[in-house]
Amino acid sequence: MAFGDEPEPAGHLPGLPPDAVERRVLTFGSGDAALRVAVPVLDAGQVERVAATVRAAARGYLKTLPTAHVVAVIDAAVQRLLDREDPWRRRAERLLPAVTGYDPEMVRLGLTGYLKTFRAHELRRFLAEDFANPLVLDEFQPAPKGGFTRAFGPDLLLHVWAGNVPGLPLWSLISGLLVKSGTVGKLPSAEPLFAGWFAQLLAEIDPRLGECLAVVWWKGGDAAAERAWLARADTVVAYGGNAALAAIRDRVPVTTRFLPYGHKISFALVSRAALDPRRAAETARLAAHDIARYDQQGCYSPQTLFVERGGRLSPQDFAAMLAHELAAQARKHPRRALSMAEAGEVAGWRDGQALRGLDGSGHLLLSDPAGGWCVSCTDAPDGLVPTALNRTIAVVAVDDLAEVAGRVAPHRAVLQTAGIAAPPEELFRLAGPLGAAGVTRLCALGAMTAPEAGWHHDGRFNLLDLVTVTEIERSAEALAEGLARYAD
Amino acid sequence: MIYDRVLAFMEADIGTGAAADEAFNALALAVFAHQFEHNQPYRRFAMQRGRTPRGVRSWRDIPAVPINAFKDLTLSCRPAEESVRIFMTSGTTKGGIRGQIHHATLTVYDRSMLLNFRRRFMPGEGRMAMGILFPTETAMPNSSLAHYLELARAECGTPDSRHWIGEAGIDTAGLYDRLDAAERSGQPFALLGASYGFVHLMDAMARDGRRFSLPEGSRILDTGGFKGQSRELEPDEFYGRLAEFFGVPRRLCINMYGMTELSTQFYDDGNAVCPSLKSGPHWIRSRVVDPLSGRDVPPGSMGVLVHHDLAHVNSVAAILTEDAGILEEGGFRLLGRVAGAQAKGCSLAVEDFLAAARG
Repeated sequence: MAFGDEPEPAGHLPGLPPDAVERRVLTFGSGDAALRVAVPVLDAGQVERVAATVRAAARGYLKTLPTAHVVAVIDAAVQRLLDREDPWRRRAERLLPAVTGYDPEMVRLGLTGYLKTFRAHELRRFLAEDFANPLVLDEFQPAPKGGFTRAFGPDLLLHVWAGNVPGLPLWSLISGLLVKSGTVGKLPSAEPLFAGWFAQLLAEIDPRLGECLAVVWWKGGDAAAERAWLARADTVVAYGGNAALAAIRDRVPVTTRFLPYGHKISFALVSRAALDPRRAAETARLAAHDIARYDQQGCYSPQTLFVERGGRLSPQDFAAMLAHELAAQARKHPRRALSMAEAGEVAGWRDGQALRGLDGSGHLLLSDPAGGWCVSCTDAPDGLVPTALNRTIAVVAVDDLAEVAGRVAPHRAVLQTAGIAAPPEELFRLAGPLGAAGVTRLCALGAMTAPEAGWHHDGRFNLLDLVTVTEIERSAEALAEGLARYAD
Repeated sequence: MIYDRVLAFMEADIGTGAAADEAFNALALAVFAHQFEHNQPYRRFAMQRGRTPRGVRSWRDIPAVPINAFKDLTLSCRPAEESVRIFMTSGTTKGGIRGQIHHATLTVYDRSMLLNFRRRFMPGEGRMAMGILFPTETAMPNSSLAHYLELARAECGTPDSRHWIGEAGIDTAGLYDRLDAAERSGQPFALLGASYGFVHLMDAMARDGRRFSLPEGSRILDTGGFKGQSRELEPDEFYGRLAEFFGVPRRLCINMYGMTELSTQFYDDGNAVCPSLKSGPHWIRSRVVDPLSGRDVPPGSMGVLVHHDLAHVNSVAAILTEDAGILEEGGFRLLGRVAGAQAKGCSLAVEDFLAAARG
């Protein structure tokens, strides 16, 4: 597939004439399939101007809207992106595979599933998850302790996005809009298109709302550009590795609220009940789906599968079925092309697992000769095993899934999702210890890469964390009563 | 027996072309058979890959062990307790675990080092005055580099050659005096050490406002990269500064590329141009492979280096490195380490996981 000569513009910059902005061209892929994206590079004056525009528009417009209106506009944008004939959707289907390298069909299916979580009724779920009475975002509402409360989003919320999983910035972008924040997002260099498109689409539907958000870019680690934005934000939400987050935290003014989301690791549990011959193939298929989707780049992607012994099929049998399913996935949705560094990492991990087998400890390695996927299966009492990602998975046999919480607990700071295939009583028996160990999301095996609407990302309240609450205490109310013109 | 064959091969002038290829291949198969028979973990490794001496006809098909294997396995043809020396890797990766390389004798290692060192670093010189920027072998008995530099000093250095790093670090004052004396003497002087040691020395020289202009024929040998021990410099900047601080032309600033996991080193012919072309003697050959499939990449393409070192008799001759390179006529260009890829998304990558686990 060849793309046009003109680089694809990225970002959304209210308050600036488009041709006033300097741009840097990022190139994705190579040869005929190369795609060039022109990201904006703002100077200090332009940063000031965009920030002022967004802040003023948020105050003058977004904050005056009922939440229901914001929900309706987001829903309209999401409906357009769900429409496969819509030009924005077509652009996404055409360009996102080129930027991220993921299989086009994987991107298409992933987008649809993902966007569905942002339709109006799902957005209401977001609101209801965090606010007992979502009207608290619109007007002062009676508080159980007496008096009234109202929640306010920040005037200027800055998002520092990271990663190449398509559309990921939407979680925080939409959360900000739902609490009526003026929003500035920094595009991730690994996927600098989707968030900007979404902003432009919102602007098409409601031009005044379009003024309330900007999508910008600066080179990761550019301290001057970062400081300029951090100084203007009331609240900063940042995604990235711990080193990147620490660098940002050091630059955030101490009075600014900082909400970091670090890289996480996820795993799955397969009960012996899921390993009878009738169910095992389906279980393996679900696991392979979670592993292949976005090549394990998501924080919710599994890296280790804990598989219970004592079923009709052994963990080794399950590993073999999983290998078969990964081979099928590789045909259906081939893995993206790896850089030399990534390929080296995968090969190094695979070879390291192969070497473990040489000490006679019952280690099984199944891998694609071309390196497209790799299943390592061990009887050793391993804990969480980080893999080289890109469809490399560690199967760890356990006598009882109840052991797993103890094995993952040392890594509580980096735990996120546990995918699970187990009967109901077992699900609830395991959930408590896993939660206590630091796991923040338990979902079905096969659904790990598709969190439901309103999920509490890394165990936090997406909306509640953003707002400040203003209270009218009962005393003020009582005193006011005495001052009314109709007071007796 | 196999040791004698390898020693004889190293001393021989095997030339180039088909006959040389054939001679290398024959000895490589013999070394493989020896290692397959006596080195149990390697035997299992080879069997796992379906490669046995019976089936392998070309040295290219001899399975290469990833360098990480030395961290998990004792890859030795003789029982470990019979090793005369164990060299250890620096342990900068994998949670600080160090790989161990066992030597049943240092005869072959030493012969390999000296034949090659004289040819590549000392042409036309019998002995040279040397200054060594590295701790002694006594201070670092498990360092192959300490042993290498000690051999260079003992066998190729004049009697006044010595080390300039002790427990207190670099003896800069003493070294300045020595370099002053070398300047006045007009006799060529050789400075040898770890690349990061040169960075520290040049930083000190910059602070002290010192520069030298070593006599004609003087040379510098650096090796090993920076390993987090000093700031990282691009090769062009590094060799530019060496030339500037010591008055040694870049063509005489020679980089040695060696690995604890091997018994033979590679050299370039100076660093007037970077990245320079590295090459080794006739008893080591290199391939460049796709790390995932293990197959050779087309000539001129980037891949991961595999070295096949016939002098590495007691261990494993074929080593899969983590270094990227491009094969060219007469050698290869070294492009740095391959490992340590950052995840593209928000999934935690191995290195970060280890960092988090260490706290």
